Amino acid sequence: MDAHIKKVYVPMTETSFYILLCLREEAHGYSIVQKVEALTNGQIKISPGTMYGSLSKMEKDGLIQFIREEDKRKIYIITDLGRQVLELEMQRIERLYRNLQEVQ
Amino acid sequence: MIDTKKQFKWFSVPQWRQEQDYLREMHKNGWKFSYVSGLGMYHFEKCEPEDVVYQLDYNPQDDTTKDEYVQMFSDCGWEYIQDYVGYSYFRKPATQMNGEEEIFCDDESRLDMMKRVIKGRILPLIVIFFCCILTLLTQNHLDGIAGDIIRIFMIFITVLYLSLFASFGYQLWKYWESIRK
Repeated sequence: MDAHIKKVYVPMTETSFYILLCLREEAHGYSIVQKVEALTNGQIKISPGTMYGSLSKMEKDGLIQFIREEDKRKIYIITDLGRQVLELEMQRIERLYRNLQEVQ
Repeated sequence: MIDTKKQFKWFSVPQWRQEQDYLREMHKNGWKFSYVSGLGMYHFEKCEPEDVVYQLDYNPQDDTTKDEYVQMFSDCGWEYIQDYVGYSYFRKPATQMNGEEEIFCDDESRLDMMKRVIKGRILPLIVIFFCCILTLLTQNHLDGIAGDIIRIFMIFITVLYLSLFASFGYQLWKYWESIRK
């Protein structure tokens, strides 16, 4: 993993995290929006400008890849690089959570 | 017959937030935005006053990606209106929102849009400025009154350009500050 990817995505924004988490299965942008809303009980509603920009950026950086188009909606899936980045981020969040428990 | 009206309004490149507020205010007063053309002629048609949120994105698309770009916004309830000098115009009634909604939900994507505006609209202006105007200003070796007129004209243009850049810089800085807070 090159330095640029690490710098940009570790740590990553909440939006990026949820996108990668959802794209372990193939999905299009709007289905990710719905899934995240359900997962977070409506607390996180990703806006279309943010979603569109994030997907384009992550595709360019090789974290996700385009598979096919259905009804004008692009379907993506996570790549190996994307999984590595997600794994790093999960470890970081787990560490945060662990430390939180320890300090309390 | 539909009652329409048009209004000339000048917004400079980094003033998309002011433009959004203007369109929302017009809709609140019963004037629904139809389209903008030319140098800033805004066309409206009469409607029931309603609180409708207007949003501008700067993310120019080519023909192959345009459809899916617009689809993403319409899936999220944003009506696409038109493109104008690289900006895309969207609106959504406030009644369809839970609280205040925008087309961007985090600061990173807001800053990304600002970067796209700088790259797409402001950098080209700076390049043109340095290539054409400064060349003309320094390469003018005409003597006499003709040379002086050209020099004065070029200095005038240069000052105009520099104040334009200064104002762009100030606007963008203010936007950046508002996000950082």
